[in-house]
Amino acid sequence: MHALTLLRQLQVPLLALVLLVACAAKLLRLIRADWAGSAPDIGHLIPRRLRLPVAIAQCTTEGVLAAGLALTARFDGGATDAFRAAAALFFLICTSALLEVRKHRPDLGCGCFGTLSAGRVHLRTIVRAGALTGAALATIGAPVFRLPRHRSMDLLDAGLLACEIVLLAVLSPEVGEILARLGYSEPCEISLVPPEHALASLHRSRVWRKHTALIAEAAPEDMWRELCWWYVVYRARDAPAGSGGAVAFAVQVKRRRPAIRAAVVEPAAGHGLQEAVLGASGPSPAAPVSLASSTDI
Amino acid sequence: MPDQQPHRQCCGRCVGLPRADRSARRRVYRDALSHPGPSGPEPSQPPDPWATPGESGSPNGPASVATGTAVDASPHTLRIAGPDGERSFALLPGTRAWRGKTADPTAIRPGEQVVVRLVRGRRGVADKVWAGIGRVTGTIVDRDDDELLVDEGITRSRQRVTLPRPVINKIMVRFPRLEPAHLIDVIGLRRGELLEAALPAATQPPAVLPEQIPHSVKWGRNSDLMRGSVTWHEPAHPGEPDQGAAYPEIDPWSGCPETPAASARSSTPALPFLAIGSLLAVRNECAHAAGTVTVTTCAAIARLFSDRCLTCGTSPRGRIADLTMSSFVALGGELERACFNATVAVG
Repeated sequence: MHALTLLRQLQVPLLALVLLVACAAKLLRLIRADWAGSAPDIGHLIPRRLRLPVAIAQCTTEGVLAAGLALTARFDGGATDAFRAAAALFFLICTSALLEVRKHRPDLGCGCFGTLSAGRVHLRTIVRAGALTGAALATIGAPVFRLPRHRSMDLLDAGLLACEIVLLAVLSPEVGEILARLGYSEPCEISLVPPEHALASLHRSRVWRKHTALIAEAAPEDMWRELCWWYVVYRARDAPAGSGGAVAFAVQVKRRRPAIRAAVVEPAAGHGLQEAVLGASGPSPAAPVSLASSTDI
Repeated sequence: MPDQQPHRQCCGRCVGLPRADRSARRRVYRDALSHPGPSGPEPSQPPDPWATPGESGSPNGPASVATGTAVDASPHTLRIAGPDGERSFALLPGTRAWRGKTADPTAIRPGEQVVVRLVRGRRGVADKVWAGIGRVTGTIVDRDDDELLVDEGITRSRQRVTLPRPVINKIMVRFPRLEPAHLIDVIGLRRGELLEAALPAATQPPAVLPEQIPHSVKWGRNSDLMRGSVTWHEPAHPGEPDQGAAYPEIDPWSGCPETPAASARSSTPALPFLAIGSLLAVRNECAHAAGTVTVTTCAAIARLFSDRCLTCGTSPRGRIADLTMSSFVALGGELERACFNATVAVG
């Protein structure tokens, strides 16, 4: 009997924690304005102009419920039960919405924890929402939560809480996404480093100072990004415009201390361009593909 | 119906050079910088997609392809006018043709644009001919009864598509929302400025602009090879190179993406950033043909499609490259099939 009461009491901090995490994840998504690159979710069922206000309202509701549950946890009274009933109603609406989405729009994600909930609505997600509804209903009328005085009760509390957290983790597809993100480092080929950063790194480098005297114009003639390198080409001082004579630099796509290489390319009479590498440092940019079994088309 | 292009930017940092020159020069500069210095390491070698163990058979090289305007089609000969003058191709009994549907080569009308794939090892003998084939891929911006105005992205003109009554239901099975702001991808017969839709080339994504389903092609997670769908496009203008590829992930500061660079920064791209002049080693997994194509433009709209190619098996979600008609056919693609499953390496 005591364990059951304890279980009912423990739901309050647990529900507050879940709501707080959900609110924080949505807030983070709102701050980053990460709508364009994320997967379509349940929010796509409402008109576009209402999506942002609805997202803000949902985030606010979760935040208010989390704060209300946490602040009223140690008090009896109407306000306490009102927050708990509101939380139960909130999770009930979520469960119903998820059931509808899974049935009618299986391509949409749930968006429960912002971008972490990118996948389609799993059965586990619906079971989780249902379990949280049940947990919130169980807290209505539960005795006030007090910190345990005996070590044995303390262990029982901790054990029950740990079991619940493990159960929630098992029911949360987002846990897998978090683990994948923790173990994933972004490859430089897809890293977003602006060209201004590459130019600033180049202009601060020793390689740049060494070649400054050979450069005719301050503005680069061409600049492009390919895989892990920014390429910057300046017209050479003695080369006629459009002849191809240039000083070329390769700047690694890296936030700190990028490798920088330089080459002077001279126009050769009647043969297009001829290159002469004067100075190079750091790793070499990738050479073009040369495949014995393939042909240029 | 208005047909105005609000803005058409050049993607790939316009520097006043013709695109072909710029591609060639970029390759020279890159080669110069890849040259190992006195104390520098050896240039890194790109992955070889054809060396994958367990694959059946070595890939074939690209097939020969001719494009031009049909001058005359008789039961045994097809004459076309191309940039190098008129050429004649022998038509065998087994030579197939496509003109809105599978047809006899004699159905080809003078003045139609044709793409001819030649029989391997037999010059001047046509294996398959596509006549008047066109494709429109983009966002619907207006609808007037059975006619659509489609925005194909910042680098191309808007296109008019007509949906004939006999095929509209077939198209609506794959594209149920033929309304402004929704995506469309159809293949049909080109009649001047108008495309008469004949068949759907994809399935409508569930989302509308600017939201998109993330690609399942994830660069760098398992290997440096990309596996996904490779599609084709019509030339944007008469002077466009016959061979080449449009690539979806030209760097966001070059003016290629549909979304501005500022918002593109908030999302991680699925494919590595490349530039005009980069080389793609493409292998058609369906026809076992392989070749290298140069990136000549950006595939702004391809970024919005995260579909799978089902030509042979199911490809991972996402369009890796959008080839010109010639390159697509040379690599064993069938234009009316819209795509082929491909493995692509970057050079």
